[in-house]
Amino acid sequence: MTTPSFRDLEQLSASLDGQLSQAEKTRLEARIQLNPALAALLADLRLARTILRQTPKRRFRRNFTLTPTMAGIRPPVPRLVPAFSWASAVAMLLFIFTLGTNLVGRLSFGAAAPMLAAAPMTNESYGFGGGPAATQPPVTDNTQVIPTAEAFIMTVPETTPSGDARLIEPSASTVTKAAPEPVNIWLYIWLGLGAVFIAAALLIRRASIQAFRRKVGRKPNP
Amino acid sequence: MEEPALIRDAQHGDLEAFNTLVLAYQDIVFNTALRILGDEDMAADAAQEAFISAFRALNSYRGGSFRAWLLRTVTNACYDELRRKRRRPITPLEPETEDGDEVETPRWLADPNASPEEQLDQAELEHAIQHCLENLPTDFRVVVVLADIQGLDYSEVAAAVKKPLGTIKSRLARARLRLRECLQSFRELLPAAFRLEEERGL
Repeated sequence: MTTPSFRDLEQLSASLDGQLSQAEKTRLEARIQLNPALAALLADLRLARTILRQTPKRRFRRNFTLTPTMAGIRPPVPRLVPAFSWASAVAMLLFIFTLGTNLVGRLSFGAAAPMLAAAPMTNESYGFGGGPAATQPPVTDNTQVIPTAEAFIMTVPETTPSGDARLIEPSASTVTKAAPEPVNIWLYIWLGLGAVFIAAALLIRRASIQAFRRKVGRKPNP
Repeated sequence: MEEPALIRDAQHGDLEAFNTLVLAYQDIVFNTALRILGDEDMAADAAQEAFISAFRALNSYRGGSFRAWLLRTVTNACYDELRRKRRRPITPLEPETEDGDEVETPRWLADPNASPEEQLDQAELEHAIQHCLENLPTDFRVVVVLADIQGLDYSEVAAAVKKPLGTIKSRLARARLRLRECLQSFRELLPAAFRLEEERGL
């Protein structure tokens, strides 16, 4: 009886798995008959293999299915993007707000200009000569309206170059009554348009993400 | 749906098809990782990582045994986990008592569906096998887990670990011998059926 070699060990192990050719198998079986050490080694290997095959199978407490995020799949971005990205939406909102504010401001000034043009002006109010002299008779028609530059030039010679400047309060009868402040309707229109645009963008984005999720069949882990 | 069709769909990015494959293979992948790593949480991490890697590298699958291809992925993930484990404090397999002693037959190894006797037998067997597996060099352990625990044939194991058949044959023979020697020290813990077989063999 000889001690099994490493080559014997390999052959015995392979014979358990049916990995020997018919000729190798026949030769090995003949040697096993003659050598009890080989038979004992074969029994040891078989037992080890049998025990390993009885290893209990375990189940983990959750599944290993992948979510789109784990798989590195991102929802497709709508083709109109980058208009639908968050940064673009915010930029668009700010742009619309700025545009709307400027427009409303311009409209407001435009509405105020006629009021200024129609404001009562005295010849003193322009500061020529610093107002009427004390010796001069009081201006009776101190609310003379100068609607045009031409009219203003015509009145200048009547003023005296000296004297205290005196701002003459316009009387209620001559002052054009201030118009009520216009409603900033354009501001609301622009803001409303911006809100509608952003809402539409978000809805389209949401719809595309939902369509993507349906397509990839996202399944939550139990 | 047939496996080749599922693989083909998954290769075209169909995550639902891939998840069907995951459900079919998750037990074998998890158990392979568990036996190589010896820790349930690490094994779960490796299994999850393996499936993620598998999905991303699915186009590199060129036919043949999908199981072997998948197990190669999990084996690689296990090697990565083992490298990380060397850099981290080691968590013992067995829970410890307050005094720091290892619990001999931990309850967390038990299968809740088995009877108490079966649970005890299974727990002892699993404990013995896992202990002996962990005493093997990693390369031997991987081969014996794939061949003897998961039942892959030599060519599948060779494909999974990317080694020639001769290397697989050699590693498996030596691993079995070492395991046999190790399991002898657990003789009293092994179920009666194995003890009887052992006595018959001798």
